[in-house]
Amino acid sequence: MSSACRERTNGIARGGRCRRPGVSFGAAFAIIGLALLLAACQRESRPFETPPPADASNDEIAMSPNHPGPGGPQAASSARWEKYEQSAYEVAEGKRLFTWFNCNGCHSKGGGGMGPPLMDDKWIYGSSIENIAASVREGRPNGMPTFRGLIPEDQIWQIAAYVRSLGGFVRKDMAPSRDDSLSARPAENRLPAPRPQQAPASPLSGQGKP
Amino acid sequence: MKPSRSLRFVCTAPVLLVAGCSEWQSALHPYGENARTTLSLILSFAIICTIVWILVMLALAGALLRRRSNAEGLRPPLETDPRRERGFTRMVGSAVAATVLILVGLTIASFFAGKSNAALTGKEMLTVRVTGHQWWWEVRYQDASPSHTIISANEIHVPVGEPVKIELDSGDVIHSFWVPSLAGKRDLIPGRPSEITLLVDKPGVYRGQCAEFCGYQHAHMAITVVAQRPDAFDAWRKAQLADAVPPAGAQQRRGQQVFLSTGCVLCHTIRGTPAGGTSGPDLTHVASRQGLAADTLPMTRGALGAWIADPQSVKPGAKMPRVDLGPDDLNAVVAYVGSLK
Amino acid sequence: MSGSRLFVVCLGILAAATVSCIARPIRPPATAAPPEDGQWVMPAKNFASTRYSGLDEINTKNVEKLEVAFTFSTGIDRGQEASPLVVGATLYVLTPYPDILYALDLTKPGAPVKWKYEPRPEAAAQGVACCDVVNRGPVYGDGRIYYNTLDDHTVAIDANTGAEIWNVKLGDINIGETMTMAPLFAKGKVFVGNSGGEMGVRGWLQALDAATGKTVWKAWATGPDKDVLIGPDFHPFYKMDQGKDLGVTSWPPDAWQHGGGNSWGWTSFDPDLNLIYYGTGNPGPWNADMRPGDNKWTAGIFARDADTGAARWFYQWSPHDLYDHDGINEQILLDIDWQGKPRKVLVRPERNGYVYVMDRITGEVLSAKPFAAVNTSLGVDLKTGRLRMNPQKAPQVGKVVRDICPAAPGAKDWNPSAFSPRTGYLYIPHSNLCEDLATAEVNYIAGTPYVGAQVTMKAGPGDGHRGEYTAWDIAAGKAAWTINERFPVWSGTLVTAGDVAFYGTMDGWFKAVDARTGKVLWRFKTGSGIIGQPTTYRGPDGHQYVAILAGVGGWSGAIVAADLDARDRTAALGFVGAMRDLPAATTKGGMLYVFRLP
Repeated sequence: MSSACRERTNGIARGGRCRRPGVSFGAAFAIIGLALLLAACQRESRPFETPPPADASNDEIAMSPNHPGPGGPQAASSARWEKYEQSAYEVAEGKRLFTWFNCNGCHSKGGGGMGPPLMDDKWIYGSSIENIAASVREGRPNGMPTFRGLIPEDQIWQIAAYVRSLGGFVRKDMAPSRDDSLSARPAENRLPAPRPQQAPASPLSGQGKP
Repeated sequence: MKPSRSLRFVCTAPVLLVAGCSEWQSALHPYGENARTTLSLILSFAIICTIVWILVMLALAGALLRRRSNAEGLRPPLETDPRRERGFTRMVGSAVAATVLILVGLTIASFFAGKSNAALTGKEMLTVRVTGHQWWWEVRYQDASPSHTIISANEIHVPVGEPVKIELDSGDVIHSFWVPSLAGKRDLIPGRPSEITLLVDKPGVYRGQCAEFCGYQHAHMAITVVAQRPDAFDAWRKAQLADAVPPAGAQQRRGQQVFLSTGCVLCHTIRGTPAGGTSGPDLTHVASRQGLAADTLPMTRGALGAWIADPQSVKPGAKMPRVDLGPDDLNAVVAYVGSLK
Repeated sequence: MSGSRLFVVCLGILAAATVSCIARPIRPPATAAPPEDGQWVMPAKNFASTRYSGLDEINTKNVEKLEVAFTFSTGIDRGQEASPLVVGATLYVLTPYPDILYALDLTKPGAPVKWKYEPRPEAAAQGVACCDVVNRGPVYGDGRIYYNTLDDHTVAIDANTGAEIWNVKLGDINIGETMTMAPLFAKGKVFVGNSGGEMGVRGWLQALDAATGKTVWKAWATGPDKDVLIGPDFHPFYKMDQGKDLGVTSWPPDAWQHGGGNSWGWTSFDPDLNLIYYGTGNPGPWNADMRPGDNKWTAGIFARDADTGAARWFYQWSPHDLYDHDGINEQILLDIDWQGKPRKVLVRPERNGYVYVMDRITGEVLSAKPFAAVNTSLGVDLKTGRLRMNPQKAPQVGKVVRDICPAAPGAKDWNPSAFSPRTGYLYIPHSNLCEDLATAEVNYIAGTPYVGAQVTMKAGPGDGHRGEYTAWDIAAGKAAWTINERFPVWSGTLVTAGDVAFYGTMDGWFKAVDARTGKVLWRFKTGSGIIGQPTTYRGPDGHQYVAILAGVGGWSGAIVAADLDARDRTAALGFVGAMRDLPAATTKGGMLYVFRLP
């Protein structure tokens, strides 16, 4: 306690009134913690400049694990999946587009209807994000329409990332939470992790990954 | 800081601020009944509060500058002089009473202003439903006959001299409808529709903006109110009811074809074509509007080209994606969309 | 007056009163319901759509002995909604997609396959079929079998040889259009309609020449009068249906182009009046805020001249429909004494929950009584004809409205009822379902669903039973008896002169009940849930047989047929919410069962 302070209070120390000037321990802790927290805000990066037109054939996607001869199927993945599946913003945009482009008209909120369910663990056309993006882009023979040329490539990947969250493949802090409106299924970030795939792990993202 | 410099700062700053408002988007230049009432309220509040502030500052200055006599300095602090205390009590008491009276008076003035704004509502009024989206305004003119419904975006036309009821709702987050020259603010809260009435005296174009932070492009969400004489308004309404003009010439035909076979058709409506998307603004008569992208750009061919080519460079974060079009296709689409008057 | 004379006078008064009270029995018109010939040549049995058989070998006393005569596996395990037809000694079975037609030879033991016809519809059609890839059956006429395929073809097959006679394409799956209904054959014409009310497809009904397949006339369900074939002969009974170009003016601009009104249900025919009667489906989208106005001519019933298609009258069951209450159910043509006067009526157990009795000459509604739990409406105003809606249950964008009854499938969906002239009852297989509904704006993108609503269904009032089989006393205007079922009763029904009524449940029980009392007399557990239409015929050996297809699916059984995920209660347009226990009660199947007495 400084002498000037003691003087003003007539020598009686009141707890807490005459504090040492300068920053206390608690405040220092808070400031450092805040700085650390802000640095950890990688959860949603929002790059609005869309990437240049992507050639879809950069991804070599195999739909079948059957590959005659030794070795696995020729499959390669661009690192693009990381940008979409590891960003809460991209997954949330995918959720918005899932409704805008009427995906929910056939697939409901993942339970299916005219189209198959997307939240179960039956993936007849592959569950990796590259496979899902290919399904959206190319369409599939038993009724899935083709959206090539209609939905820009960037948005196809956002939708694919959202479908991955319906399957339980996306991390809990990236996946969207419960709907504001009629909430008739568990929120995407509360869906259980999918069962490990039966097929051998392939270099494509997400195969076998919870 | 020297007193003279600070004084200069205090006096010039508000003048500069006021001069920044152009007349068509200024609460200080009312052209509507609601705005006039609001302006008179603003001025009365400002004047009364300025006077009060001056008096308080004078009192404070007096308190700071008052010299203390030696006798006062040596007197023990807790000893009081009953006569001076009475004086102080009277002064404080009357100041409190005056404050209460002024506040009550301002409240009553505000109440009556609100009442007169609400009194504008009538029964047989033109009703426009405005739904706020990120970051554009959906405008819908209701009519007793559903086939006379007009759906447009970002621009409202109203007849001069007739009250128009604007029903407000939001499609996503909270926005706020604010056309300063015509009325005060009214929030658009999702799930809680509200309304505001406009009564414009003079034909002209008035600009407004979203006044509640609604996301990345909140600053680029302007709304234009065009007040017209009743006959001009009826003509405009009739023109808006018509289907979109068919494309004229090979380039516009190509443009329509590209429009209908790429991403444009997923989100936009052009009546008279198979395009029926409602996520984005209705484009049936887009070229007849004053501005583009909620008045972020003017409605010119070049701006249209820039907007369609890459909306994200104009309005980063807008929900309209960049659709990859070749240069010929882009020109064709711009020609077609530019023809939709 | 002496005691004995008083007695005689009283007796006389009593007799007179009784005689005047006994009205003539309710009968279908004779030309629309010819005498029993032991065949079943059209799904509705006859033009009056009674689904009543004059065969009485199987009756209430012996039906408990009913046993399987033979079976046939269709090889397809999606929803089997068709009715097995019998013409002469051949039984015709139509499968769901890929819509294969089998002809079984009833003269040989085990009814082996005589021939099969495969139209090979486009596989992509499966992606635009709202409610499982079903087909509601073929029809026979003039030596040919006619039916629709999922990808919008109508085919005519030689009934003896199985050769394709003609095959016409009437629609486009690219805009979401499919065909699932059973055609009507009458007066040398085949009447067919399209599906797609959930895809924003504009509805129509066409008459094709039965010999060549060429279109004789086509009537749209929305749009200007000339498209809807409304002309000088059109005289709707109620003011709300009168006006010029209502198919345009009762919609926002251009909304009628994808307005729905599809005729995917049942058509009846009155040969005396030369009128066909059929209903139109729901308006699109489900979100009614996007289409203010009455949305003519959806969710209503048309009476049209069978030769020219010119509309005679129209009545709208559900103007500005809010709940997907399609108006396409069956209508039974009956001649009845109504309030002392003989009238030609049609009786319709409608999706919105009321049994309508209407004058089929003028289109006047004589009565509309609820046959299930209804809180969406407060009755039909018989003066204006308009359904009085309950504003508390009106959907609002951005809000969830709960406990709406009946749910979107209505009190009764497409599965048809049957009428017995012996009991005077209408046997209605139906549902007891309510729903929660949240609507939202939706983009119209051709070929994708145009719905704009999230629905989750649940059991209606009561102990949780979701289905009911009701015997409705038409003259009294109320139910005589009701059997509650665990699952919605999604099968058709049939009633015979032996006073036995047959129907099936979604967990696979095929039941025979006493047509007068409702007592369950016999039941048989088939391999899969039943959503098909039972038929009965006299076999080549002179005995009575009853045929039914078992194979769960359709809208109600989609959770099993399409392996949907029960955790999403909005799946299958909300039906999964009410059917989460169905996969435990039945698996997929596709089998024809034919029963007879030992």
